[in-house]
Amino acid sequence: MSAVRRVAIVAGATTPFGVRPTTWSEMAQEIGAALFRAEPELRSEDVDSLFVGAAEPERFAFQSHVAPLAAEQMGLTPHRILQRTELACASGQSAIRSAYAAIAAGLSDVAVAVGIEKMNLPSMAEANTSMGCVMDRAWDGPHGATAPPFFAMVAQRHMREYGTTEEQLAAVSVKNHRFANTNPHAQFYSKTFDRAKLARLPVVAPPLRLGDCSSMTDGAAAVVLAAEDRAYRYTDSPAWIRGTGQYSDFHNLAHAGPLTDWKGLTHAAREALGRAGLTIQDIDVAEIHDCFSISEIVEYEAFGWCPRGEGGKFVLDGRSDVGGDVVVNPRGGLLGCGHPLGATGIAQSVEIFQQLSHQVPPSRQAPDPRYGLVHNLSGSANVHSIMIYEGGRAS
Amino acid sequence: MSATTKARRDTPPEEATAKAPPPVTERSSVAEKRDPGKAPPAATTPFLLDFFPLEGPDQTRLARFFERLKEGLLCTTRCPRCGALHWPPRVACPACHAEDLEWIDLPSTGRIYAFSAVLAGAPLGMESDVPFAVGLVDLDGVPLRIFGRIDGRPWKELDIGSAVRVEPLPLADGRVFYRFRTVD
Ligand SMILES: [Zn+2]
Repeated sequence: MSAVRRVAIVAGATTPFGVRPTTWSEMAQEIGAALFRAEPELRSEDVDSLFVGAAEPERFAFQSHVAPLAAEQMGLTPHRILQRTELACASGQSAIRSAYAAIAAGLSDVAVAVGIEKMNLPSMAEANTSMGCVMDRAWDGPHGATAPPFFAMVAQRHMREYGTTEEQLAAVSVKNHRFANTNPHAQFYSKTFDRAKLARLPVVAPPLRLGDCSSMTDGAAAVVLAAEDRAYRYTDSPAWIRGTGQYSDFHNLAHAGPLTDWKGLTHAAREALGRAGLTIQDIDVAEIHDCFSISEIVEYEAFGWCPRGEGGKFVLDGRSDVGGDVVVNPRGGLLGCGHPLGATGIAQSVEIFQQLSHQVPPSRQAPDPRYGLVHNLSGSANVHSIMIYEGGRAS
Repeated sequence: MSATTKARRDTPPEEATAKAPPPVTERSSVAEKRDPGKAPPAATTPFLLDFFPLEGPDQTRLARFFERLKEGLLCTTRCPRCGALHWPPRVACPACHAEDLEWIDLPSTGRIYAFSAVLAGAPLGMESDVPFAVGLVDLDGVPLRIFGRIDGRPWKELDIGSAVRVEPLPLADGRVFYRFRTVD
């Protein structure tokens, strides 16, 4: 492993997330401009490779071959590796993982990982159809399988097996929406939610209400990754990639197993933490995949922050908030920021980069963090992808 | 997912039932002659994939599943080499990679392991079904838990453990799929 080079995120940017009057290509231009504005030392010719996280541009934007389109829109001329990464809700993290692998292997020195998703269409039913294709379309899709009813079944089983309550689900949403109020790029930056307001929102898929579900969102995010000998050209505080892990064991819902025990997450976390030489208790700040409020609760348990069945109590007791065991989703989460599929994983890594270098508002800053974690699930929680970062000069 | 593959609607449509979903879209043909000075109509595709599988023997090696379903029975494949029971049916065993699989009929009854309902956000072709229940069902006597629409009693009257049975769903274009229905 001695040939593997160390890799860091050295810059990052996001566009505003929301229901936006703009196209996929325009957002590619916008995130290019935002990235070069965020990192004045970055020159286009520095960037030898581009990885484009995009889940469903064919359906939402009627556009294939998006990697060279994104390069052109962003003003980049990749000359080593250019590719799109698709892994549904984890498409953005896949772009970062691919860039990391390329740089670590010496195939790239400076790469951009960008995520772009346009999801809001004039026809919501057509957009919902696209989301249905993420499942096993031919066998689960015809029944109306989309994410909300699947995660609703997870919530139903968790409530049945462990007594998890709607109050505990709402605590996740209240926390993440409160954090989103500190993030001007969040879809729900200017909207406040308390428990009473969440309880008045309509039920989407029982027991999940609208406030338990992340939104259809337009947005883009990008990071610059650099090899160890290039990183300090751009920043004094790189976020070093210390470990990564991934696990997938099913796709058709028949093989989801016990809905409340996400073994794939536990496996991926063990891989990532093992590579980093850390335990989960070492993590100071985490951006994890709260596509639904119940997801964050099951994830606390699968990561080992709390025993199985106690995720609801964990959040209600404030242990995933600033001042708790670990600060979870200070960016505002998918619940507060919205969930543009390809952009989410990258925006999460931008937050960790900024957390580790103390660039976020004090109201959401984790106290003096050293280690940060990013987690994405995709589809029906059948894939889990994890990255671990360390701030400052890695030893 | 739109594509211009060979049309699947070769078979004459059977009589549609009241439950059969409508076609996803109805659009006019672009083949009609039009004044070239006028704005073009919205493009149409001669073939648009929908959620339901292509099930004829010229499109899938699992056509037997759909033929059996038209007879009212759910079936699947089993591996004669290693004994693995598959869902959905397959052409190669994921456990031992044998390809000479055998078909077996499945029980028509089961019990709900988990369920929810779609009250909003339904895909195209399903908007008029809202609200509808879906769930994971443990089939009786076999180690299979499969996902499906649950017709019959409204979702508020369902519970974990409720009994359901498999029911074929004839589609308007002659294809067939399955759903669950509550057992009173
Ligand atoms: Zn076998």
